Amino acid sequence: MQFLIKGQKHRHRVVFKRRAMTGSDPSSSASRSVEESLHGDTQYRQPYLAGPSSVGGEEAVEFVLSSPRLATMSTKTARASMVPDLFTSLPYIRDLLNTQSSQIQEETIQECLPFLSGLEPGAIYNDYGVPHLERKRHIQFLHKSLKKLPAPYVAADASRPWMFYWALAGLSALGEDVSQYREPLISTVRPIQNATGGFGGGNGQMSHLAPTYAIVLALAIVGGKEALDIIDRRAMWKWLGALKQLDGGFQVSVGGEEDIRGAYCAAVIITLLDLPLELPRDSPAWSGEGAILLTGLAEWVRRCQTFEGGFSGLPDVEAHGAYAFCALACLCILGDPHVMIPKYIDVPRLMSWLSARQYAPEGGFSGRTNKLVDGCYSHWVGSCWPLLEACLDGPFRSFAGGPRPAATKSLGSLYSREGLIRYILCCCQDRTRRGGLRDKPSHSSDSYHTCYVLAGLSSAQHKWHFNTTETKTETSGNLASPYQWTCEPFVGEEQIYNEGDRVGTLHPVFVIPEGAAEETRAYFASKGGF
Amino acid sequence: MGKYEGDPEWDDVVPIPQDDGEGALAQIAYTDEYAEAMGYLRAVMAAKEYSQRVLDLTEHIISMNAAHYTVWLYRASTIFALNADISQELNWINEVALDNQKNYQIWHHRQLLLDHLYPGISSDSAALQDLTESEIEFMTQMFDEDAKNYHVWSYRQYFVRKLNLFNDAELKSIETLLRTDIRNNSAWSHRFYVVFSDPKHSTSGSRATEHDPRIPDEIIDREIEFSKAATFEAPQNQSPWNYLRGVLRKGGRKLSSQECFANEFVKIPEDGEEDIRSSHALDFLADVWAEEGKTEKADEALRLLGDKYDRIRKNYWDWRRGMLKEDEVTKAVEKVELGQ
Repeated sequence: MQFLIKGQKHRHRVVFKRRAMTGSDPSSSASRSVEESLHGDTQYRQPYLAGPSSVGGEEAVEFVLSSPRLATMSTKTARASMVPDLFTSLPYIRDLLNTQSSQIQEETIQECLPFLSGLEPGAIYNDYGVPHLERKRHIQFLHKSLKKLPAPYVAADASRPWMFYWALAGLSALGEDVSQYREPLISTVRPIQNATGGFGGGNGQMSHLAPTYAIVLALAIVGGKEALDIIDRRAMWKWLGALKQLDGGFQVSVGGEEDIRGAYCAAVIITLLDLPLELPRDSPAWSGEGAILLTGLAEWVRRCQTFEGGFSGLPDVEAHGAYAFCALACLCILGDPHVMIPKYIDVPRLMSWLSARQYAPEGGFSGRTNKLVDGCYSHWVGSCWPLLEACLDGPFRSFAGGPRPAATKSLGSLYSREGLIRYILCCCQDRTRRGGLRDKPSHSSDSYHTCYVLAGLSSAQHKWHFNTTETKTETSGNLASPYQWTCEPFVGEEQIYNEGDRVGTLHPVFVIPEGAAEETRAYFASKGGF
Repeated sequence: MGKYEGDPEWDDVVPIPQDDGEGALAQIAYTDEYAEAMGYLRAVMAAKEYSQRVLDLTEHIISMNAAHYTVWLYRASTIFALNADISQELNWINEVALDNQKNYQIWHHRQLLLDHLYPGISSDSAALQDLTESEIEFMTQMFDEDAKNYHVWSYRQYFVRKLNLFNDAELKSIETLLRTDIRNNSAWSHRFYVVFSDPKHSTSGSRATEHDPRIPDEIIDREIEFSKAATFEAPQNQSPWNYLRGVLRKGGRKLSSQECFANEFVKIPEDGEEDIRSSHALDFLADVWAEEGKTEKADEALRLLGDKYDRIRKNYWDWRRGMLKEDEVTKAVEKVELGQ
């Protein structure tokens, strides 16, 4: 779900020296990193989406930080002391053998440390050594991403609908009213829909599940009859039938690849639009034996769990963060999390792999074993946790349902919310006039990262519950499970960010503002048939 | 005047302009060259034209935007309709792929080409040999740029399956990559696939996370030794630890069969400070000890992980500690029930 636009390469030199921490905590990993001088000089990969419209990201940045000592109480060191040493020092155990993987990992740590340590020049930190969310700048950045884009964005010509979704989901999370986009969105997506069902990347392009997913969600976000009525549901249903494969999965387009994105996107579309589950007769998966659109889908998803415990894009490939979310969210559409996840997934192995995605000192998530942290996994990995927590905790009951043994429960958090929030607020924000959020400090912000970093932040700041006693009307009928989630602010541990920096909620399965999915589903359910 | 507008060969085609809708969001300011070419593509697609000039047109568009699935899919249909030369096409997309490292579409296109090509050469061993060599060579070139490129690895798995390359040469070529970077987890994952999905000695449809009784003991032993040797090079490298767990699961063996090995990296004396060279070894031993019913030892290992060696994952380690207690309760209940 990523794409690249060729942009200028960025050089970013950070020289960071650290001296002994004077703290005497024997468990402090600082003992290993004392007296170490860390040097980084890295030429970074190209950012995911860096158009020439970028402001502030193009010039070479160079700054040198001298060695702060905790003994001398300068303002800088006072700030540094507010940050737990977990986020300012190297991992406790490191191997001597140097390979490309360890080298770029080392460079990434060095790149992040000044930001995590409260030492970014010009930044204002709170009492926990965490900077504010630059809400206004990120809002501006996303508004701008919906305006006319310059020619190099041609590389996004087939994935442009994602831009609508990323901006609208991100703006909603930031508390912006997006109703101003209802009319333009309607006239934008109308010529992108094909008479044969589904949406393409643009006018005249073949229908594809990824842009269709993005457009359906964007329409659900702006909401309203006029927006939702744009979608030709009968044609959509026929087209989904054409994508359905005999092995249970979905192709992303007719003749295109079959992968777990297809499984998740198809499930989202079927439930949100309340489509019939019958298989159209001309589907390649039609067998005459009662097969439906969902036949074998959960089994297909299960085949993507790898020996490491995570999920691959299709069976037999390497476990990857983005696909873990697709797998879990797909299962949570097909049924209740505490039923579906243990039924189809080896939960302890998944927990082990998913948990290993969080690194220190960075605090953020990586997408694969021995790969680097990247802000977008704040969502792809981070948003797996509410689904898994619901799986372990069982349904949240408002009446006496008999408590399960406390030990199996998720204890409120299965990962370090603090670590993720620190990575997001310290390392992922472009605090220049450009605004937006990013992969890591050396990368330019883009709307993909802005959306998914904010989704991860939202997830870390809230606690989701899966309810079985909810009696909303939209929970009746097919695939009703994803409409049974409720949310509250997470207040389980010391809050390291200012209350004003709490972002809005995004649904744990659909990743759109709370309530939008329920309204969309209710609207289509009320129609009864096409 | 545009390239196509001024070309007599295209006189019969009326280009279809893009309908972006009024006041479209995130509208892209196309270059005239791109806008014109796309106009002609929409027209030939609407007319379902499959011809040499369509191949030229799609090549032109791909040179401006390689991430355009519609163009790729239509190009594939055109190639098959014309029965065009597949190896020539493969050579051309090699160049495109090297310039577009993160591109999804090229690799799917390549699979479509192979699917089309394969039936015609499946009984010609010399042709298969040539294809194998050229494809492996090309992938090696791609791995030189990025040894963890997800699309190339997905294609590699497809290729191994298609040409039945579950063999020593394939294992050797993974080992070459691992010698360069023992932390290349993509290479480890591929090895797992090549070893445990080999139709000669695996059960068809056996999932990656389940025991496969068809795998011979000597293969399980060989893979255990392979992961151990790698672990000694860099004990904190998680890849071979995950691999080892995967191998033991496939072989239906207990983790405790590797207790001695994991203990190489973990020294916890009765008193005095412990010496831990790998947090993954400690994690492994926690499971071993839980398996053996040594709950206290397991709990101590998990506590050390959460408090000292892997603090960012403290909540996870605490959850594991909770699981230990629950297992104990379950076992106690079972005992009582048996006693009755």
